[in-house]
Amino acid sequence: MPEPESNLLHECLRQTGAAFPEAVAIIEEERITLFGELLTQAEALAATFAELGVRPGDRVALVMPKTTEAIVAVFASLLAGAAYVPIQPRWPKERIATTLQDCQARLVVSATDGPPRIAQLDGREAVAWDEAVRPRQDRYHRYDGPQVQSTDPALFLFTSGSTGRPKGVVLSHGAVSVFVRWCVTQFGISANDRVASPSPLGFDLSTFDLFSMALCGAACVLVPEHIVWMPRFVVQLLRQTRITCWYSVPSILTGMLQEGGFADGDNACMRLVLFAGEVFASANAVRLQAAVPDATCVNLYGPTETNVVSWYTLPPAIDTSQPIPIGKACPYAELRLDESNGELLAAGQSLMTGYCNLPEETALAFAMVEGKRYYRTGDRVTLGLTGDYTFVGRLDRQVKRRGFRIELGEIEAALGRHCSVVEAASVAVRTESHGTVVTVFIRTRAGEGLSAIEVKSYCARALPSYMLPDRVVFVDAIPRGNRGKIDYEALERTAGEPSHGHQT
Amino acid sequence: MDIRPEIRAYVIENFLPGGGSVTIEDTTPLITGGLIDSIGMIGLVRFIESRFQIEFTPREIDAHRLDTIEAIERLVLKKLEGTRP
Repeated sequence: MPEPESNLLHECLRQTGAAFPEAVAIIEEERITLFGELLTQAEALAATFAELGVRPGDRVALVMPKTTEAIVAVFASLLAGAAYVPIQPRWPKERIATTLQDCQARLVVSATDGPPRIAQLDGREAVAWDEAVRPRQDRYHRYDGPQVQSTDPALFLFTSGSTGRPKGVVLSHGAVSVFVRWCVTQFGISANDRVASPSPLGFDLSTFDLFSMALCGAACVLVPEHIVWMPRFVVQLLRQTRITCWYSVPSILTGMLQEGGFADGDNACMRLVLFAGEVFASANAVRLQAAVPDATCVNLYGPTETNVVSWYTLPPAIDTSQPIPIGKACPYAELRLDESNGELLAAGQSLMTGYCNLPEETALAFAMVEGKRYYRTGDRVTLGLTGDYTFVGRLDRQVKRRGFRIELGEIEAALGRHCSVVEAASVAVRTESHGTVVTVFIRTRAGEGLSAIEVKSYCARALPSYMLPDRVVFVDAIPRGNRGKIDYEALERTAGEPSHGHQT
Repeated sequence: MDIRPEIRAYVIENFLPGGGSVTIEDTTPLITGGLIDSIGMIGLVRFIESRFQIEFTPREIDAHRLDTIEAIERLVLKKLEGTRP
């Protein structure tokens, strides 16, 4: 039976590109790309990919910031039947290399300045970018692309792994499209909308921007990565480009409200604000509503492994004494509480296929309950009288910083590889002023002194920047409890003491 | 105006707390070297803007243009020159 075409992410672009070739698809600063151009370039590049040996089921790695070219490459990968694997170019070389190996990419598209470079996994250049995207009459019209099923992988998102190696979350076309289609219907997103795109491609939030654009013909306004954390530039951009829909981590919104001048001035264009990825303080949610009084503001929830599975629309009067709930299940998802430990379990069409090449970890991530496969979120929740779930904490040592997931164990594993380090323990403490602050405690080999600079530089070679420790504390011994386990609570107390900010 | 020592002091105070014996050279890579992450960079930008009464443009918020004390000084001097009547 043929797939409903809207379940396939690239088919959405094919239909919109054919129906509305003159409509604006992407706005990237002064540069505008129409749907017809986007589709033509993506199909030409897909044909090139196929010529270079990309087959259905392969992976194409995109080591590039979110530019128009990157979006062309996303759709080209999908049109060629492959999954795309976004990789932040700023990641340390070591991490990029292991990720490329892990996913066994057939091709690597990379860019820093200038046109992207298309290369084989071993680094040999395959073809020049301009050559690859130039729509050649003969090739373009002959390229139909392979048959793709909605269960086929569409993207791999690499996220922090507690054992020291990033895990690749595999998401299918169907898993992403069920979420995007629901958003488009639920919030009435249409070709009249301008959807902001502030999240990097490696972040599941970006699937909303790209594929709601492709599905309903909305224009996608790229928020350049170098300004996304500069609130006044973001606010300027969203007013200038008259953005109507926004989806980001709360940290960006908080910055916009607190120092970007978002609360003053006219935001009448903005009609939908979605946020996810971390807890949004109720007081800031009140400020948000005041800044966009006519907009619908919605808290979306779901780990990368499940995409969004629950939602909560902010009521007109927010109770600031309570955290904002993560709400109720989306129609395509099912949620349940594991009474034994308070963990939230999630099932439904938006769940990941599994982790790339990690069958054991994949098996552990799921639980079968009454014949249904649920993902164990690791999030502790409570269920309120209204039927809304509220996040109360984690069951493990995963923390969020600006919406990015950090496994503290991965930082420890990285430090453990340093020849002068005997052992390392890391803790995260939430502060009002600096958000999540990560402190590492290090015991070095006798007589082998290390400096905080050396520790930070070493981490920068192994970890992405959002995982770098903020503080380094050298200790003679890491405190342990009765059973010999590291006493993280004691370390958190120590890290929370202000005096410890002044130790190295 | 002594730009370098002020930047150095800010970096040590905020990113290497208590680093009494720490030295940061004018050419030490701050951002690509991992001392300052991307959010730290924004904090540094804010400090420079308010301390030297300048405003960066979006294009100038770039890890490579702000990576060393030397490069920061160069950028600040250029901005200050541009604001002079």
